[in-house]
Amino acid sequence: MRIFVEAVGVLAPGIKDWDNAKLVLGGEQPYLAAPLALVAPACLPPAERRRSSPTVRLAIAAAEQALSQTALAPQDMAMVFSSYEAAGVITHQLCEVLAGSREVSPTQFHNSVHNAPSGYYSIAMNAKLAASSVCRGKWSFSAGLLNAAAQVLADTIPVLYVCYDSPMPPPLSDVMPVLDATAIALVLTPAATTQTLAGWEITLSSGDGEVPWPAWMPPIWHANASARGFAALATLLANPADPACDSAALPLSPELNLQLRRCPCQPQVL
Amino acid sequence: MTPLSIRAYTTSSAAGIGKAATALALHEARSGLAPNDLPWAPLPCWIGRVNAAEGLALPAALAAYDCRNNRLALLALEQDGFMSAVAAARQRHGPARIGVFLGTSTSGILSTEIAYQNRDPVSGRLPAAFRYDTTHNLDATTEFVRIVLGLAGPAMTLSTACSSSAKVFCLAERLIRLGLIDAAVVGGVDSLCGTTLYGFNSLQLVATDICRPFDVARRGLSIGEAAGFALLDKEEAPLRLLGYGETSDAHHMSTPHPEGDGARRAMLEALERARLDVGQIDYINLHGTATPANDRAEGRAVAGLFGTTTPCSSTKGTTGHTLGAAGITEAAIALLSMEHDFMPGSTTTREVDPETQCRIVLRGAARPLRHVISNNFGFGGSNCALVFGKAA
Repeated sequence: MRIFVEAVGVLAPGIKDWDNAKLVLGGEQPYLAAPLALVAPACLPPAERRRSSPTVRLAIAAAEQALSQTALAPQDMAMVFSSYEAAGVITHQLCEVLAGSREVSPTQFHNSVHNAPSGYYSIAMNAKLAASSVCRGKWSFSAGLLNAAAQVLADTIPVLYVCYDSPMPPPLSDVMPVLDATAIALVLTPAATTQTLAGWEITLSSGDGEVPWPAWMPPIWHANASARGFAALATLLANPADPACDSAALPLSPELNLQLRRCPCQPQVL
Repeated sequence: MTPLSIRAYTTSSAAGIGKAATALALHEARSGLAPNDLPWAPLPCWIGRVNAAEGLALPAALAAYDCRNNRLALLALEQDGFMSAVAAARQRHGPARIGVFLGTSTSGILSTEIAYQNRDPVSGRLPAAFRYDTTHNLDATTEFVRIVLGLAGPAMTLSTACSSSAKVFCLAERLIRLGLIDAAVVGGVDSLCGTTLYGFNSLQLVATDICRPFDVARRGLSIGEAAGFALLDKEEAPLRLLGYGETSDAHHMSTPHPEGDGARRAMLEALERARLDVGQIDYINLHGTATPANDRAEGRAVAGLFGTTTPCSSTKGTTGHTLGAAGITEAAIALLSMEHDFMPGSTTTREVDPETQCRIVLRGAARPLRHVISNNFGFGGSNCALVFGKAA
């Protein structure tokens, strides 16, 4: 499968956007931890802005970054969101309430669905095409990317892909140790445009569910499915000194990897 | 689109375990719903509980996956020769060429709810035996089913609330069309839990009486649990997936667009992919949750597109609203209806809301069915319509 990467959004503690990420991924700047500040996205209508959870804000903020770098309209994109556990804080709050008064708050409940970020996003952007919400545990980045790429090619449309993880509170963090928020957003297209960053040739290959993590990355991010996306982003940086850096293997299952290889892109004159 | 074949399928819910029992319940207009008797969720409502799954033992090697959702998944897998059909496909295509795509809304969250009732009073920690990844995580059942079926192709879980296990058909079709896989097991599993019972109740969407879709006196839904699976491939078979449509409302997180705009666009896209006109659809299995807002919006969308003649019914009075499993449950009912040439009725509906313009069928009837639509809509404004057909 060959798809094209049109735009990128990145959010993590110490990485505030794609320009910033490029410096770290390219080795030009060491990774430096810094708190990630999330504000409620301005694109949400007031009621939704008030009700949105930190997870929703994280996913939408990453998406907005990617959208700011493309001329393509969000209304023309299908949407694929993916996450290991979409709503850690809300799951915790719900389970606490259910173990006590059982008086669940309606907003908490609708925020608890795995597709809450895609739902809020579609409202914010008035985006009415197909929206999916994927979970494949710790392999969610590659599973969501496979789903998004298939939609790009099978339906010949641009797809916004967002993979995100938000911190789990205790005691859930004991069994699901996501401690930092990380999110990556991609606008993917079926053909190259004048803004294309690179093409990706995507194949399935055999694997064992594990692939080494980048050396610069804080080890606590290894619990984040979306942190696998940094290896994918690294392939977008042309580095003549290291030809191997144009490909990445992303674990998809105990037996499979999703293999990405950067390929040249020729913009199509429309 | 090029149709995909339904090589095998199975469904288990409160209406019946397996296809024959489900078909019988539909023929006899028998509801599987009963007053809520769950000791751990004393809410005055009706539920669709699958007692047969509760005592089931998982294979010893998969003990870590033990939870209500995976027991229900295993019960359903064991019906209708489904595992033999998958074994034959595995033999034919190889395990790496068959994908597994399941929908769920809450997976085994009940295990986490129970763990929270048993936290250490001092440290607040969860019990040492609690396993998140293999029970509560939304992918837990997909991975469990993949292992049980011995498959090694790409797998993932879709969780778009109540459209989840309809949308898996669309994903499978795309991956098969692109040649990444030759066949796919699709389906969904959702089981009763406090999160959905008390969550929907907090939104005032749970009826105290049995749910009555499209009834003038409807008061909300009755939650059920269910599991179902279908094996899809490109070879010839009498039952086929002909088209699908997926849209977003972009309107509200938990209320459908009042005119059913997203629902209408999903049905239109499904008809276009299937290259069928509205007049060629013999029956529509509605989402029909029995909430005032859903049925009003869906009724408008269906009437706007199909007028007042195409027969429609909601089978949620038979199965309950099985949430993340509603897509596969109603896909299976659509397939059963074509196999038996029997159009199911709306079992619990007494007097159709006079505001409804689409043609709601109260009693099931024998009738030749060649093309059937199944609708499913979910929170977040997620809509999916599937078109199934029977070879002439």
